[in-house]
Amino acid sequence: METLENEKCQASAICIKNLSYRYPNAVEPSLKNISLDVEKGKFILIMGSTGAGKTTLSLCLNGLIPQLLEGKLTGRVSVAGKDVGKTAVQSLSKVLGLVLQDPETQIIGRTVEEDTSFGPRNFLVPLEEIKQRVNQILEKVRLQGYNDRLSEELSGGEKQRLAIAGVLVMEPEILVLDEPTSELDPAGRSEIYTTLADLRRKKDLTIILVEHSSEELIYKADEVVVLNQGELVWRGVPSELFRNLPLLRQWGIKPLPVTQIGWDFYEKGWITLAEIPLDIPSAEGLIRELLPKYGHWQGHLQGLAQRQVQVPVPGQGFGSEQRKDGLLQQELHLSKKEIAVQVRDLNYQYNSDQTALRGINLMVEAGDFVALIGQNGAGKTTLAKHFNGLLKPTSGEVIIGGMNTLKYDTSDLSKTVGYVFQNPDHQIFSATVEKELEFGLKNAGFKGKEIKERVEQVLQYTGLERYRSVHPFSLGKGERQMIAVASILVLNPKVLIIDEPTTGSDWTGVQTMMALIRKLHTAGTTIIMISHDMDLVAQYAKRVIVLKDGGVLLDGTPKSVFSNEQILLDSAIVPPQLCRLSFQLEDIFGPEPLIESSEFAAMFESREQSGCL
Amino acid sequence: MLIEYLPGETLLHHLDVRTKMLGFLGFIIISFLFQDPKYQLLLVSLTGLLAFWIKIPLQKIWGMMIPLIPIFISIILITGFTFAPERFEHVSSQTILFYALPGERLGATVGGFMMGSTFIFRLFSMMIASSVLILTTSIDDFTQFFQKMKMPVEVSMMLTTAIRFIPTLDKKRRQILEAQRARGTKFNEKGIIGSIRSYIPIMVPLFINSIMMANSLSMAMLNRGYGLTRTWTSMREIAFAPRDYWVMSFIVLLITLSFFVRFRLQLGVL
Repeated sequence: METLENEKCQASAICIKNLSYRYPNAVEPSLKNISLDVEKGKFILIMGSTGAGKTTLSLCLNGLIPQLLEGKLTGRVSVAGKDVGKTAVQSLSKVLGLVLQDPETQIIGRTVEEDTSFGPRNFLVPLEEIKQRVNQILEKVRLQGYNDRLSEELSGGEKQRLAIAGVLVMEPEILVLDEPTSELDPAGRSEIYTTLADLRRKKDLTIILVEHSSEELIYKADEVVVLNQGELVWRGVPSELFRNLPLLRQWGIKPLPVTQIGWDFYEKGWITLAEIPLDIPSAEGLIRELLPKYGHWQGHLQGLAQRQVQVPVPGQGFGSEQRKDGLLQQELHLSKKEIAVQVRDLNYQYNSDQTALRGINLMVEAGDFVALIGQNGAGKTTLAKHFNGLLKPTSGEVIIGGMNTLKYDTSDLSKTVGYVFQNPDHQIFSATVEKELEFGLKNAGFKGKEIKERVEQVLQYTGLERYRSVHPFSLGKGERQMIAVASILVLNPKVLIIDEPTTGSDWTGVQTMMALIRKLHTAGTTIIMISHDMDLVAQYAKRVIVLKDGGVLLDGTPKSVFSNEQILLDSAIVPPQLCRLSFQLEDIFGPEPLIESSEFAAMFESREQSGCL
Repeated sequence: MLIEYLPGETLLHHLDVRTKMLGFLGFIIISFLFQDPKYQLLLVSLTGLLAFWIKIPLQKIWGMMIPLIPIFISIILITGFTFAPERFEHVSSQTILFYALPGERLGATVGGFMMGSTFIFRLFSMMIASSVLILTTSIDDFTQFFQKMKMPVEVSMMLTTAIRFIPTLDKKRRQILEAQRARGTKFNEKGIIGSIRSYIPIMVPLFINSIMMANSLSMAMLNRGYGLTRTWTSMREIAFAPRDYWVMSFIVLLITLSFFVRFRLQLGVL
């Protein structure tokens, strides 16, 4: 019996038998009794919420667990016929390559070539062959000709591709990638996906990809494996999983926006489960088919006629005159309301003479929810850093709540403007969550009782109460992100700037964070959010500002901004999926995009109420 | 910092790293042979010529020298007063100029002051010579040298990794600084304790981040076969060219000559 199983293991790329693992000092095991077989040449997607055991599993595959990290491991893992427990990590790297999350720490060499050749050099591959292999692999990850470039100067996406090259150059049969895109922007992410697709086509490579986002991957992966709290809970075809909304919710995986619409139809009994759309074309077809049957057809058209009048002409606001007019109107309108942020003719130049911002004029009224979007390097963060005085204008001025940032120090402005940075680990330094929160208050000159009260209030507000006396670094990334927000909230800022609040969080984490931000917004805080996640921007922001090359490209409500599809594509922004769907249905719904699934559902509602079903 | 490689096409750039190392060693030996500041001054001007040859950025050198001036002065004073006359061979050096304390105690000797000048000139020439060496030799050459000297791979590995991560850590430092400033940290608190305290919010996250980075770096290195063998493939084989033999013979000749001058002719002592 055993020999039979062994033979089966020999044939498959990865063979896991009853694997359980507990980290040293941990109470609960991180992996519970996992058994998994992966055939050669397959592309497997591993999904699940944070803490489900995805990273732990990938570390088990190449032997870092148990060879580098101790702990209690039971069960067996074999990779391409080699027993992982008995083979050194270094030898396994010839068979299985592992790419980790942060590209920065996976690059060892100063130049691209030096880094890529690191692996083969350790295996004493002759120089001539190394050079040949390096060039071959660099071409595969689309970095040909980069040999002498300094690795430090590459972009995020290029760095991660270099990390992939460094692993591939050892010619493994299996490639495991642990959230390789979580630190990247959308452009970097699509670079990685294209590279993976290329690799699959060119070589008989088994790929295991751990990932949060799903839209791009549904048709690429052969199979999905879902982990939940250390257990393997589901395995099957991606389309099947993504049509099953309740399951996704249960495991904390982000559903596709179009399936949300489809699920509504399914619940109403109009379509079968297998008909739930997974992409825009099939959703478009479905809506076209269902609208005459069930849609609120007539009334909708009338509503449309009215709406069309208000729709702004795409491209408006580009001519400088029009813009000035708009600004003037805005100013008149704003004079009634309090102004939170005012930017006049702002120009900014870095020391290296590189112009980062040019001629920016902006006004944000108190209580608004603004999203700053744009490609990496468009100037989003540079602009936001002007709002709390971390950067001072080269020319022009920035006025925050009546204070000119040129005249005030960041420590003074910090009482009015809170700035939450992307990486919480850059600011946490105290031994308990409570002390971490007190730090800002002490800087602002608050004393004993007041500090206690405010910390108490914010701990409750953010749901961090139970972690009060816990060391921040013993908590997960999501909680640390929350601590970073809380440590700013204690100062009770009127304006809150949040830079990428959801990078690397799972869907549950994203929702918790966004719920908190929405609560703050409702309470009257002005929110300025920098984000790459267009679904979030469309769903939460009241105003969207698109930056390109240091200038404002578009400025308006999410609907009016996202209706300029072509202009957005030029600055590498892909509008949210539902927006793109409504562009396809423009002839029915009109030029103004719909951005929430409930809006699509509304098209079908009245008829239903009138009892036609 | 003066550790960057300065690209150029001079003979010094083209010499083999081993030749340059021999030259550096020879220079140190010669410098320690002579006590007379005149000889040291000669060495300073010689290294100065080399520096001029490779077009060293002079402003940088000055930037490094200026903060050292108080140290130079104190060296001269200390040696001037503490070297007893018996320690010098020449009568002229034993002359006592004056006494700092009444009762003929703590005398300032001519030899002492000259010794002080020697120390300073030696420091000067060493700084120039090491700068010349570092600026004309690439990191690759140094790692090659370590390997040829049969040093363990870890040494050159450590060197390259350290240099690779300098910009990364600097970026981290800036990000941490900004994050803490946004929370109202003031960096102008008074007194030593105050200034140390205001840097804790910077240093602690920086250490934690470095440790986390080191952890994942070690994983990445194992992933790529580091430590499987005790050695690795050299990316470039260095080889001696005829010019290296010429320069090496010249260096050996110079060293022999210096020994002759110092021990046969008994010159260059105080």
